[in-house]
Amino acid sequence: MPAPHAIVIGAGSTGAATAHDLALRGLRVTVLERGEIASGTTGRNHCLLHSGGRYCVKDQESAIECIDENLILRRIMPGVLELNDGLFVAITEDDLAFKDKFLEGCAACHIPARDLPVKHALEMEPFLNPKILAAVQIPDGVFEPFRFCLAFLATAKQHGAVVRSYTEVTELLCSGRSVTGVKILDHRTGQTETLGADLVVNATGPWADKIARMAGMDVPVSPTAGVMVTVNKRLNNMVINRLNKPSDGDIVVPQRLTSIIGTTSWTVPDADQIEIPKEHIDKMIHKGQELIPAIQQTSTRGVGAVARPLIRRAGGDEREVSRTFECFDHRRDGVDGFVTISGGKTTTARAMAEKVADIVCGKLGLRAECRTRETRLVSYRLFYN
Amino acid sequence: MSLEVPVKVLRYKSGDGAPRYQAYRVTVPDEANVIDVLEAVWRQDTTFAFRHACHHASCGTCGVRLNGYERLPCIYPVTEALKGRREILIEPLRNFPIVGDLVVDVAAFFQKQEASRLVITRQAEAALDGAFYRRSEVFDDEGRLAERPYNRFENCIECGLCLSACPTMAASDKFFGPAGLAAIDRARQEAPDPQQKSSLLALADGEQGVWRCHSAFECTNACPQNVDPAGAIMALRRDLVTHKIKNFFGTR
Repeated sequence: MPAPHAIVIGAGSTGAATAHDLALRGLRVTVLERGEIASGTTGRNHCLLHSGGRYCVKDQESAIECIDENLILRRIMPGVLELNDGLFVAITEDDLAFKDKFLEGCAACHIPARDLPVKHALEMEPFLNPKILAAVQIPDGVFEPFRFCLAFLATAKQHGAVVRSYTEVTELLCSGRSVTGVKILDHRTGQTETLGADLVVNATGPWADKIARMAGMDVPVSPTAGVMVTVNKRLNNMVINRLNKPSDGDIVVPQRLTSIIGTTSWTVPDADQIEIPKEHIDKMIHKGQELIPAIQQTSTRGVGAVARPLIRRAGGDEREVSRTFECFDHRRDGVDGFVTISGGKTTTARAMAEKVADIVCGKLGLRAECRTRETRLVSYRLFYN
Repeated sequence: MSLEVPVKVLRYKSGDGAPRYQAYRVTVPDEANVIDVLEAVWRQDTTFAFRHACHHASCGTCGVRLNGYERLPCIYPVTEALKGRREILIEPLRNFPIVGDLVVDVAAFFQKQEASRLVITRQAEAALDGAFYRRSEVFDDEGRLAERPYNRFENCIECGLCLSACPTMAASDKFFGPAGLAAIDRARQEAPDPQQKSSLLALADGEQGVWRCHSAFECTNACPQNVDPAGAIMALRRDLVTHKIKNFFGTR
C-alpha cells in the first residue's frame, strides 16, 4: 500500500518544517505555495533567532519554546545562522527597574544570561548608546528566512516531497464531512487542476482563516502587522534589544551588511492589504536611535511590513497575546482530513511541525516517531536539484 | 503623500502564446520602493507572478530588469525609477529560463552556486564602519561563554543580477557565471588546507570557468552588494597564471 499523501498549504517556515517532518516520517508530501518560497510572513520577518528573552517575563511558555528550539536549530542548520548573541539594554530608569524581573525570567526559562558591566558591553558593541544603564547578554541569533525555508524544503525533497510554488489553492475539495483534496491554480501556466490527499495541512499563517473558510470553518487567527526598517550599514553584531516589556521599536537586528529596526504592531483585517503608515517608519528610526544613536547617520535601505499570525485567546491587546502556536484538528468542528497549524514564530517552526505531524500521524493511524530534532538539514541550495 | 505610478510589466504564461506587455496604474506612498509597485499590481491582478521574500535585499529573490537595467526592486525607490520617464518598465532577468511573468527558473544557477560548497557565514569584520569592537564572547551550544569572532552572512545574496547583465552568460549557459566564480574565490579564501584551495582553483580553471569571461565587468556594475565578481574572476586568473608558470618551470 502506498504511503498516505499529505498536502501542506504554505511554504513559509511552518509549512517548510512540516513538509520536512512528514516526509521524514514516510508520508508522501506535496507542498503548495501561491507565491515564492517565504514570500509571506516568514520572508519579511525580523530574521531573529529568538533566545526567548523577549518573552521570559510575560509569556514564559513562548520563551521556553524559543530557547529549546534555538538550541536545536543551532545543531540541525549549522553554517546558515549568524550566532553572535544579543544584549538587552536599559536606557531609562524604568528599563533598569525591569532588569531583576528579566534575569528571574531568564532563569525560570533556562535561558543563559549574563549581567554585563556597561563598559564591557560597550567594548563588545561600540555603536551602542553610551548612556546605557545596564546590559544583559542572552543567546539570540540571526537567520535568513528564505534560506531557512529552503533548507527544510531541500531536505524534505530528498525524502520525496514535491514542492510547487506559484500554485494557489482556490478550493478545498470535500466528500461528505471530509476534506479529500484541493483545487489549484498554477500561476506559471494559468491552468487549474485538482489534487487528492488523505489529509490537508493548512500552514498559511495569517491566511489560515481564509483557507479554513473554504471548508466553512473559522480559525481564531488575527493578522497583526508590523513595520521593519533596514538601514544601509551594519552597526551591531549582537542583536540589540530594549530591556523592558515588548514595545514598538524595541530591537535592532544585524544581518549581512545591514541593521534592521523593528517593529510595530497593529491588527489588520486582511493580510494581503497592508499599508505602511509613514509615522511607523519614522517611529522605528527614532526608537532605533535610542538604542544605537549612529542610526541617525545612515540612510534607509528597505522598508517592509507583514502580518504575524497571532492566535486570539481571551481579550487583551495584541502585545499581550501569546506568541505560542496552536494546532486545530477540524474534526472538532465536524470536518475530517483537515488540520490547521498557526501562530508561533519562525524560531519555533520545527516544534510546530512536530506537533502537527504528531496529530496528522494519529489521524492517519501511522506510528512514526519525530526525527527532526537530530536530523541535520542539507544545503539550502539543494532545494534546486 | 502618494504617487500614481504607470507601470508596464512583461506577462507570460506557458501555453498562452508569446510574452506581452501589460500596463497598470497603481498608487503607492512617495517613499515607496519598486517592490511596493509590484505588490500593488498583484493586488489588482492576483494572476501576476513575481518573486519576493525579504524586502530588504537579503534573500536575493526579487531581481528584475527595471527600465532596462538589473535591479533589486526592494531597495530601488519609485521616484528614482520614474526619473525622466513616463512609466516604469519591468521585465524578467535575462539568461534564465522564464517560468511565468517575472518569475525565472533559478535551479541551474543554484546548482552552479553549490559547486564551490561555499558556506554562507563568514567572520564579521573587526571594525564596524570605523568603530572597533574589542571583545566578542559568545554563548556556545551548552550555554557556556567562549571567545570567538563574530560571524555574519556573506555579501552575495545569490540574486542573479550579475548573470543577467553578463554578455558571456548570454552566449553560453555552460559558464559558471560571475556569482559562481565569486563564490569559488570566496570559498578558497575560507578553505583551511592547500589541497582544498587548489581543487577550487582547478574548478575555476575548468571548462565552465574563468577563461570564458570576456572581461566586460557588467557583473560588478550590476551587483547590489559590492561583491565585485569581476575582481574575483581577475584574481582567480592571476593566481592560475602564476600557478601555471611555476609548474612550467618546475618550482613550487
